Amino acid sequence: MKTHLYFNCYQTEALIASHLTPEEFGAYMAVGTRKHTTGNVVFFEVDPARAAATVPAAGRIDELCQPHPDGSPRRSKYLSTYRVLEHLPIEALGKLYLVTRDGRVLALDGEMYKGDAEPRGPNLYAELSPVAPRVVSFLPPSRFVKFVTDPANLVHVPRIFFADQLLDREPDGRLAGYLPYMNPEHIVDCVNEVAVAEKSAKIVERNPRLIAFYRTIRRGFFVGDQTGVKIYPYPSTDELDDHHHLWWRSASLD
Amino acid sequence: MTKLTKRSRSSVKLFLGALLAGLALFPPGAQAASLDGVRTVPGWWWLAPIAGALALVMAYVFYQSIAKANPGSERMQEIAGYVREGAYAYLRRQYKVVGLVFLVLVGLLAYMAFVLGVQHRLVPFAFLTGGLFSGLAGFIGMKTATLASSRTAQGASESLNRGLTIAFRAGAVMGLTVVGLALIDITAWFVYLYKYHHVLFGGHPMNLETITVVMLCFGMGASTQALFARVGGGIYTKAADVGADLVGKVEAGIPEDDPRNPATIADNVGDNVGDVAGMGADLYESYAGSVLATAALGVAAATVAGWDGTRTFAFLSAPILLAGIGIILSIIGIFLVRTHEGANMKALLGALNRGVYVSSVLIIAASWGMVKFLAMPTGVFWAILIGVLLGIVIGKGTEWATAAEYKPTQAIADQAVTGPATVIIGGIAEGMLSTWIPVVAVCAGTLLSFAVLNGFNDLLAGLYGVGIAAVGMLSTLGLTLATDAYGPIADNAGGNAEMSNLPKEVRQRTDALDSLGNTTAAIGKGFAIGSAALTALALLASYVEEVRIGIHREAAIEYVAPAAGQDYALASVGADYNKKWAIFVPGAKAGNREEQQYYTLSAFEGAGENAIVLLDDAGVERSLIINEVGELVKDSPLVDINGKRLAATKASLRDFMTLYDASLINPKVLVGVFIGVLAVFVFSALTMKAVGRAAFAMVQEVRRQFKEKPGIMEGTERPDYARCVAISTAGAQREMLLPSVLAIALPVLTGLLLNVSGVLGLLVGGLCAGFSMAVFMANSGGAWDNAKKYIEAGHLGGKGSMAHKAAVVGDTVGDPFKDTCGPSLNILIKLMTMVSIVFAGLIVKYAPAIGHWLNLGN
Repeated sequence: MKTHLYFNCYQTEALIASHLTPEEFGAYMAVGTRKHTTGNVVFFEVDPARAAATVPAAGRIDELCQPHPDGSPRRSKYLSTYRVLEHLPIEALGKLYLVTRDGRVLALDGEMYKGDAEPRGPNLYAELSPVAPRVVSFLPPSRFVKFVTDPANLVHVPRIFFADQLLDREPDGRLAGYLPYMNPEHIVDCVNEVAVAEKSAKIVERNPRLIAFYRTIRRGFFVGDQTGVKIYPYPSTDELDDHHHLWWRSASLD
Repeated sequence: MTKLTKRSRSSVKLFLGALLAGLALFPPGAQAASLDGVRTVPGWWWLAPIAGALALVMAYVFYQSIAKANPGSERMQEIAGYVREGAYAYLRRQYKVVGLVFLVLVGLLAYMAFVLGVQHRLVPFAFLTGGLFSGLAGFIGMKTATLASSRTAQGASESLNRGLTIAFRAGAVMGLTVVGLALIDITAWFVYLYKYHHVLFGGHPMNLETITVVMLCFGMGASTQALFARVGGGIYTKAADVGADLVGKVEAGIPEDDPRNPATIADNVGDNVGDVAGMGADLYESYAGSVLATAALGVAAATVAGWDGTRTFAFLSAPILLAGIGIILSIIGIFLVRTHEGANMKALLGALNRGVYVSSVLIIAASWGMVKFLAMPTGVFWAILIGVLLGIVIGKGTEWATAAEYKPTQAIADQAVTGPATVIIGGIAEGMLSTWIPVVAVCAGTLLSFAVLNGFNDLLAGLYGVGIAAVGMLSTLGLTLATDAYGPIADNAGGNAEMSNLPKEVRQRTDALDSLGNTTAAIGKGFAIGSAALTALALLASYVEEVRIGIHREAAIEYVAPAAGQDYALASVGADYNKKWAIFVPGAKAGNREEQQYYTLSAFEGAGENAIVLLDDAGVERSLIINEVGELVKDSPLVDINGKRLAATKASLRDFMTLYDASLINPKVLVGVFIGVLAVFVFSALTMKAVGRAAFAMVQEVRRQFKEKPGIMEGTERPDYARCVAISTAGAQREMLLPSVLAIALPVLTGLLLNVSGVLGLLVGGLCAGFSMAVFMANSGGAWDNAKKYIEAGHLGGKGSMAHKAAVVGDTVGDPFKDTCGPSLNILIKLMTMVSIVFAGLIVKYAPAIGHWLNLGN
C-alpha cells in the first residue's frame, strides 16, 4: 500500500499523508467525509524525500500513516497544519490537483517558469497560500513573486502560491461581461489606480470568495520565492472541454 | 425553400395527389341521403377519417423507422432504459388512479343518463372513449419519446441532420397520433350516431343537433384525462427537477445530467411525462374540443337559420374536414424539416419554421378550396385565415416574451446583478406585461372571426366563425405538436449524451438540438394556452346549446303528453315556478324530433306572425300558438287563447341567456365570475404547493441516498434511481387529486347553487383569469429559465457568478410556474367548460328546485 504525501494548499494549509491515490484523495477531501471542505480543494502531491529535509515528518510517512486495523487504507494522516508552504522546497512540489465541489480531480503538471517575454499587466492575482487576498498588479508573475517574497519589504511572505486570473475588458474599459467577479467597477478602479500611481500591487479584496474560480484562471498557477518560480499551466477551455469534460462541467458549475 | 430529396418530393406529390383525387371523386352537392334506414354521408366527408387513419399509419411508419435506428452503445441504452422504466412506472400508476376516477365518473354519468335521465344515454360511453384515446395518445407519445432519446444521441453522433430527423420524427409520432386518434374518434362516433345507432337500437335517426352535443361530451373524457396528465406530469417533473437541482446542484455541486445524482433519471422521466404525455393529452383535448364545439355550433346556426340539409351538413363537417386536410398538410410539413451539418441555432429554428410556415400557407390555400367546394360563405375562409395567423402571432409573441434574444428576458437577466429579489420582481413584471400579446391577439381574433361571419347580426354564425378560427389554428396540430414534443426528446438525448460521456462534437450537436427544443417547448405552451382561450368561447356557446338540449330532455321526461287536440300549458313545463321553452307534440315531423317524440320550441319552424307550424309524420300541418315565453300552446285547429294570438319566435341562444338572466346585473353571474377567478388562484396555489411537497420528499430522498451511500459521489456506488422515480410518481399521484377534483366539482356545485347563469359567470371568470394567469406563468417561467441560460452563455458574469445564483433562484421559482401551473390552467378552463356541458342536464333539472329552496330564485 503506497503512502502518498499531499499538501493541501488552499483555505487550510496542511501536510497530509494518505494511502489514497491523488484522484481518490481529492474526491475524499471534497465529498468523501462529513467534514468535507466547503468549495474547491487544491493540493499538491509532495515528494517525501525532497520534503524530508525541511519537514522531518515527511521522511516518516510510512511509519506515521498506517492502514486501519482492518487493513483498509488510511485516507488522511495530518502531519502539519500551520506554515507548511514556507517549509516545503519548491522542487518537492509535484503535480497540482484541482478538485471541484463534487470531487472531480484535474491534474496539472508543473515546470520552472522562465518568464520570457512576459507581457506587462494589468494582472489579477488570486493569492491562495499562505495568505489569500486578491490583488491587481502590473508586475508579471516572476516579478510579482520576487516582490511579494522580498524580505526587504516590510510586508512579505517567505513563499507564495497564487493563480493568475482573467482580467479581460470591454473596449470601453469595463470588465468583460462573462467575468463572475463581485464589484467589477472596484476592480477597474484598482487597475486604474495602480496604473497611475505606479504601485507594485493593490489589494482588491482581502478575503474574496473565489466564485466560479476555475473558470477564471488565465495562464495558470504559480508557486515561488526568491529562488525561482514554478508554473502549472492551465489548459485552454477547448482542451478542458475536449479532454477533461467531466471535470470542466463540474468546474463550470461553481 | 430547402431542396427536397427525391423521396420527399414523391411523398409530397403523393399526398397532394390524394387530396385532389379525394375532392374530385366526390363532387360538391353530394349530400346525405337515406337508404333502408341507414343514412349516408357525402363521399368527400370520408376524407376526414381517411386523413385520421393516414396520420396513424404515418405515425407507425415513423415509429418503425425510429425503432430500427441504431440505439447507441450499451451505456446509452442502459440510461435510456432507466428513463423508459421510470416513465412506464409513472404511467402504470397514473392510469390506475385515473382509471379509478374514470370508473367513478362513468358510474355517475351512467346514473345521470339511465336513472335520472338528465343526459343522453351515450354520454358515459363518449366520455370513456375520449379519455381512453387521450390516454392512448399520451402513452404512444411517451413510448416513442423514451425510445428516441438514445437513438437521437446516436443519430447526432452521425450528423446533426440525423439527430434532428430522429428527434423530430419521434415528436411527429406524438403529433400525428394525437390528431389521428382524435379525428378517428370524432368521425367514428359521427358515423355510428348518424348512420347506425337508430338501425341497431331502433327509433328515429338522431338529428344533427343531438349528434353533435353527444359527441361534445367525449371532450370531457379527454379533458379529464388531460388534466390528470398535465397536473400529475407537471408535479412529477418539477418535483424531480427541483429535488435534483437543490440537492444535486446546489448542495452537492454536481452538474445537470450527472449519473451520480439519484434524481437525474426521475428528472429525465419528468420531461417525458410532463412535456410529452401531458402536452399531448392537453392538445388532444383542445383539438377535439374545438372541432366538436364548432360542429355543434354549425348545426345550431343552421337550425336557427333554417338552412337545408346539405348546407347544415357542410357547416357540421367543415371543421372535421379542415382537421383532416390539416393532417395531410402536417405530414407534408414534417417531411420539410431537415437541416445541414454545422447548422446554428437560427438555421435549426428555420428548419422547424419552414415546416410550420409551409403547412400554414397550404392550409390557408386548402381552406379556400374547401369553403368554395362546400359552398360556404367566404367569411368561413377569413375566419380560418384569422385562426392560422393567430397561432403564428401567439407563437411569435411567446418567443418574444421568453427567448434570450429579446429584451424582456435580457431585462430580467440584468436584474440578476442586484440579486434574487430583483430577479423575482423583474420576472413577475415581465410575465404580467407579456400577457398583452396573446390576450390582445385572442381578443382581436375573436372579434374579427365573429365579425367576418356577420356575428353581430347572427350570433350563432359569428360563434361558428370563432370556433372555425380555433380549428384553423389547430388544423396543423400534427406538425405543431411534433415541434413541441421534439423539445423533451432532444433534452433527454442531451442528457443521454452527457451521461454516456459521448465525444464533444456529439454533445455540441445534442446541445444545439436541446436549445432549439427549449424554444419550441415555450412556443408550444403559448400555442396550447392561446388555442384553449379561442376554443373557450365556442365551448361557452356549446354550453348554452347543451342547456337547451337539457331543457328539451327535462321537458320530455317530466311531462306526459296530453292527447292530441288538448291544450298544452307550457307554464308548467319544468318546475312550476320556472317557465321552460319546451313542448311535447306527438306525431310531429321527424326532422325536428330529438329522440322518440320529444320536441322543443327552438327546433320549430316559425309560421307567419302568430303561430308555429309543424308537419307531422303523415305530412299534416299542425299549428301551435305560443307566446314568447312559452306560456300557452294550442294544437290545431287554432283556438284563440285569452282572446289574442302572440307571435312565436324561435328560441335563439340569446333567448336562453335571457331566460336565465345571464346579465352582469344578475348577482348570480357576478358571483359566478368571482368563483371562476378564485378557482384559477386556488388551483394554481394547490398545484404549486403540491410541487413543493413532492419536491420536499424528493430532496429528503436524495439527501438520504448521499448520506447512506457515500460511494455515490465517489462514483463507486450506483444511486437508487427507481426509488426517486417512485417517490416522484407517488407524490404526483397523491397531489394531483385535490386540484383535479376541484376542477370537476366546482362547475357542478356552482351550477346546482347558482343555476346556468352562475355557471356562465364561472366559465367567463375562469376563462379570463385563467388565460391571463396561464400566459403570465408560462412566460415568466420561460423568461426566468432563459435569463439563467443567457447568463450561463457568458453574460453578466456567466456561470457561477452572483448574478447566475440569483437567476437560478428565479428559474427555480419559475419551474412550477411554467411547467405545472401555467399549462394546467388551460386545461382547467376547458375542463370546467366540458364538465358544465356534460352536467348541463343535471343543472337544468335540479338547480331550479335548489334555488327555490334556498330562496335564490330560478
